[in-house]
Amino acid sequence: MSIQKILLQYEPEPENLLRAIKDINKEQKYISEKDCREISKYFSLPLARVFSLASFFDLIKFHPERKKIIKVCSGGPCVMERSLEIIRQIEMLLKIEAENDASPKVKLEIMSCQGLCDRGPIMMIDDQVFEKVKPEMVDDIILNYL
Amino acid sequence: MQIITKNWDKIDPFRIEDYIQAGGYASLRKSIREMDREDVILQIKESGLRGRGGAGFPTGEKWEYSAKTNSDAKYMICNLDESEPGVYKDRIIAEKNPHQIIEGLLIGAYAIGAKKAYIYLNGHYREAAEILKIALDQARDKEFVGKGIMGSAVDVDVEIFQGAGAYICGEETALINTIEGKRGEPKLKPPFPPVCGLFGKPTIVNNAETLANVAYIIKRSAKTFSQIGPNSSPGTKLFLLEGAVKNKGVVEAPLGTTAEELIFNSLYGGGMVSGKEFWFAQIGGASGRLMPRGKLDQTLTYGNCEYPIGAGSILVVDKMADIKDFLYSWAGFFHRESCGKCVPCREGTFRLWEIAKRMKNNDLREKDRENIKDILWTLSNTTFCPLGNFAATAWSDAVKMFEKEIFPNTNKTNNDTN
Repeated sequence: MSIQKILLQYEPEPENLLRAIKDINKEQKYISEKDCREISKYFSLPLARVFSLASFFDLIKFHPERKKIIKVCSGGPCVMERSLEIIRQIEMLLKIEAENDASPKVKLEIMSCQGLCDRGPIMMIDDQVFEKVKPEMVDDIILNYL
Repeated sequence: MQIITKNWDKIDPFRIEDYIQAGGYASLRKSIREMDREDVILQIKESGLRGRGGAGFPTGEKWEYSAKTNSDAKYMICNLDESEPGVYKDRIIAEKNPHQIIEGLLIGAYAIGAKKAYIYLNGHYREAAEILKIALDQARDKEFVGKGIMGSAVDVDVEIFQGAGAYICGEETALINTIEGKRGEPKLKPPFPPVCGLFGKPTIVNNAETLANVAYIIKRSAKTFSQIGPNSSPGTKLFLLEGAVKNKGVVEAPLGTTAEELIFNSLYGGGMVSGKEFWFAQIGGASGRLMPRGKLDQTLTYGNCEYPIGAGSILVVDKMADIKDFLYSWAGFFHRESCGKCVPCREGTFRLWEIAKRMKNNDLREKDRENIKDILWTLSNTTFCPLGNFAATAWSDAVKMFEKEIFPNTNKTNNDTN
């Protein structure tokens, strides 16, 4: 769907701003500066306002993602279920370091809580969620889904 | 005693008929048909219900502020953001019995005179979003939501607003900012949201669990509710048992229950996992204090309490665990989630994260001991909103309780010249 089409689904009220930004982000996986300009024109709001809102949230990206992103939760309950071991396992397996951009193909991120603590530890590869991951399962997951 | 968990797993969250059959929406009918707005607020006030999100502010009083403020528009918001490690009770309510939240929200909206209500949902909750959407559609079909609720002249429209993943948006002013299409940063209080909130109009922000209690109070009278648990904070509370306990998950217990009972009673936690020994428990999520063995007999209530109950999560840690892992986890979380509005929090959480990373690699320097104290003092005393204080709570307790584990080389002379 084009940006114009997405925008036209919403009344140009400030309360719809985040919804529109999220929809566009979902459609094309990121928001470019040009998109921000179009959004600001449609909502009659300054470009700075659109950009400041979009840049606040983790889920909104400004560049197309060329790497595979692996995320692992490190909240207290997940730590109790050995999520830090999972992180170490991935680091060793892929020879990367958490939070480090050096590898051109894959990035390992430590993420904040997804609210799935009853099914933890949580691991994500792009949008795919893995629940109740054990350090022993990491090899299999990486092999099959990365 | 079951108020919130009573119908869980007995009713189908996708079928409103099940909820109605279990006595649902009767309280909404009673409030609109038989009670004045003032009566509803009086009932909630007399019940002594306190906010279940963490602060424990009396709900009835909050509603009264809004009801008394004259305005052409008012808003009611259900806070379903959570996103704190270890806290997922509201998500479970929404997934098991979404109408319970919606009914409470509608009663609240009627009581304060709001024509528009929002459910602010965490951006990560996909299943809960679907379930709530279906539940709302069904409620709209049955004329519980929308124009002329059940043939009366009361209009309340409910909308779901989903965030995009930020812990700070659980703070009410930050939440309001997000709906207004601004950065989710907290605002200076006063003016408080019940007087001047969303779009400058009186706005009530209530936690989802608080609202889930409302229907029960209206149905069974304030007196019945106020007799459960201690006088100062009556009612039941959802507790989340995590870590090294046998029965993990959500349990409902009257407020005033001790942590010991929750962890060791077979009704709730059922004791430690076999072979593991209790070390400490963290009460109330990542922002909670650490409770040592000797303090387990403390009752958990809202109000004056040494260990604030927060959102009700209890993380049980056994002696096999490493305190450094937890310090790393807490520091990382608050460093990622600090909104960056005020310097003490933005810089403080960042430096704490740096120290935590070094600590994990056993590269702690003698200077760090001073620095940690300095940062923790700054975080707990000078930040703009409570997030900064939260970031320091668990760390401060850990530094006090486990000094030996954190700084193992205290007696050796340090050759570090850095």
